[in-house]
Amino acid sequence: MTALFSSPSAGRFGRRQKRERGARIPVTVLTGFLGAGKTTLLNRFLATPEGRGTAVVVNEFGAAPIDDALVRASADETVLIGNGCLCCVSRSDLQETLRKLVIDRDRGDIPDFRRVVIETSGLADPSPILQTFATDRALGDTFHVDVMLTAADAATGLDTLARSSEARRQAILADRIVITKTDIASGEELAARLRALNPGASIDVAVNGALDPARLTEPVAAERNAFVAEAEHADGIASFVLTFDTAVRWPVFARTMETLIALRGPDLLRVKGFLAVEGCQGPVLVQFVQHLAPPPVELDAWPDTNRASRVVFITRGIAEAQVRALFAAVQGLA
Amino acid sequence: MSAATSPLENNGEPITWNFKLLAQNNLGGFGGMGEGIAVQLAKDGRRIAWIAHESAPKNFTGVDVTDPRNPKVVVQTDLPQTHMRSNSLDVSGDVMAVAYQTKQVGQKPAGLELFDISVPEKPRSIAFLDCSGAHSRGVHQLWFCDGEYVHMASGAPDFTPSHPNDDQFYRCIDVRSPSKPVEVGRWWMPGTASTDNVKPPPRHPLDKGYRAHNTNVYPQRGDRLYLCYIDGGMFVMDIKDKANPKVISHWTNSPPYTGFMHTAVPLFDRDLMLVTDESTEDNAADWPKLIWVLDARDEEHLVPISTCPLPPVDAYKDRGGRFGAHNIHENTPVPTSFQSDQLVFGTFFNGGMRAYDISNPYQPKEVATFVPPAPAGTPVGAVQLNDVYVDERGVIYTVDRFSGGLYTLEMDF
Repeated sequence: MTALFSSPSAGRFGRRQKRERGARIPVTVLTGFLGAGKTTLLNRFLATPEGRGTAVVVNEFGAAPIDDALVRASADETVLIGNGCLCCVSRSDLQETLRKLVIDRDRGDIPDFRRVVIETSGLADPSPILQTFATDRALGDTFHVDVMLTAADAATGLDTLARSSEARRQAILADRIVITKTDIASGEELAARLRALNPGASIDVAVNGALDPARLTEPVAAERNAFVAEAEHADGIASFVLTFDTAVRWPVFARTMETLIALRGPDLLRVKGFLAVEGCQGPVLVQFVQHLAPPPVELDAWPDTNRASRVVFITRGIAEAQVRALFAAVQGLA
Repeated sequence: MSAATSPLENNGEPITWNFKLLAQNNLGGFGGMGEGIAVQLAKDGRRIAWIAHESAPKNFTGVDVTDPRNPKVVVQTDLPQTHMRSNSLDVSGDVMAVAYQTKQVGQKPAGLELFDISVPEKPRSIAFLDCSGAHSRGVHQLWFCDGEYVHMASGAPDFTPSHPNDDQFYRCIDVRSPSKPVEVGRWWMPGTASTDNVKPPPRHPLDKGYRAHNTNVYPQRGDRLYLCYIDGGMFVMDIKDKANPKVISHWTNSPPYTGFMHTAVPLFDRDLMLVTDESTEDNAADWPKLIWVLDARDEEHLVPISTCPLPPVDAYKDRGGRFGAHNIHENTPVPTSFQSDQLVFGTFFNGGMRAYDISNPYQPKEVATFVPPAPAGTPVGAVQLNDVYVDERGVIYTVDRFSGGLYTLEMDF
């Protein structure tokens, strides 16, 4: 908006919101290794009251047809995206599918839905899905990724992690991880490995595919406070948390991120955090996926007494010290 | 977001999208509520919502909403006559003003009553201003926020309208001595008094009258009155000299729309204005009834720039009762009122209560929807949400016109 009809009561980033997703439709991205039991988790979720009104978008590649049939039976609406893997071939398919979901609903062709679950193929790198919501303004205005949940099975999870970079990417980018098939094998070793890869994600165990539905629906923003430790490197991927004790000057933060994106955009796999910004009453939620950033959102209020800015970086080949140095350099010149 | 056009709208299922329903209270079985909701912070720390009833036998109800999840009726009063309705009220400090309207002209009592509500359980009458008359039905709506003046839509004993439907006009009552209310100013649309030397305005097809409805005055512009005049559109008035109100500008959408302009709320910091219609016909026979957003940069030249989108009329018109705009939260200038120039909360009868984000005023966006099931005992088969008020905590109060009483909600966006 221009200065026309601007409001002194709005924040720098527009209307302050109660929660990160504002009024948008929540999206859960469900990833997981091949055979990790994603569809079972999904079916169990769809059978709960919380699962009512869920539209499911399934990426067919690599999934057995029987899975789709099961999901189709229980979801309010299921859309299958064929011909390949969400991450590389069908990003535009995903965009079109989500757009069509909204149009069909508005026309009354499909039942109403209040949540979308995107089940990715076991081979999918989930970051392009996040990018989709950051780049497509129409989709970003309508949908918001609340949860990125990754399923890993106790029986073969360790092997999969060892040999598949996509699987490692799924684990590293997850907000939450669920270990399945613990009736076949103990999940302890796998849990330790996952914790090392992604210390910020909570790890749950699903028995016979049963998981607290809130793990698929509750946004993770608050849990992000838990990011403390530096993750173990894998494929050159590192995660670390930058904290700032005093309020950030927005131009300094923005310029620093612009520089980082310009130089190393493809290596910023996911950046997400709460910022205390000078002149803002609530925390500002920022997110970057490679060179893309959805608009920041200012919340009404801080979720707890911790007023420190904290930003989680998941990067490839960029060290914490380098990012800190860049912030310090820009700050020094500003 | 286009929840407004989702199939749920078509199949009649209840909708709660981005609101959280905290409680419903049918107010002891007298849950037919009008268009007056005000919130008092009592001296003992309790928070009391005062709500006007749509029709007799009840006058007003005080509800302890300190815990909005557990609203408790603390007092409910009766009207002295069944031909009366209270419909509208406002609270300033510990004084409440209540509007009394009668079914027919000439009936009594009709007028304005002031109550001391410092002990919420025992409202005590301080004064009554008689507004009855041979051509008057009394007071339909009032505005009382500063403790000094009541601005109201009222008839008067000494007023003879040029058409019987045009009996209520703007009156300003000085209540600085609360026991002795006295009129200090009045204004009617030229042509509506029998003594006017101006031709009466042409009648609209539905003919709801050229008469005052909302009479909003805000401290940001204490010399302005935002006056809606039902079939006469809306007027921005200069009331610097209360004895001599002057028209600054006039805006109407009717014809071709079907009249009944209801409320005008200026959003001062943004140079915008919200103007609402009221739907008064069942089955949406008077469709479309809307919330309009006006560019008010120049108060003399108001320009409509958008409306708040509603679901397709076909999805609602046959559900029972009315469907269309009515009351909105008015940013009432009291400490217990939510203030926003970004969000609009409106009631739409069987279309429920909806919130809109007007960050971009050219494209209002529905962000939350509440269409509860038909309340028990309603004669029309669908909810008829009539009025909405949001307190400074962000708790939303909305009421049903026939039987549902009070619903308390939270914003979840």
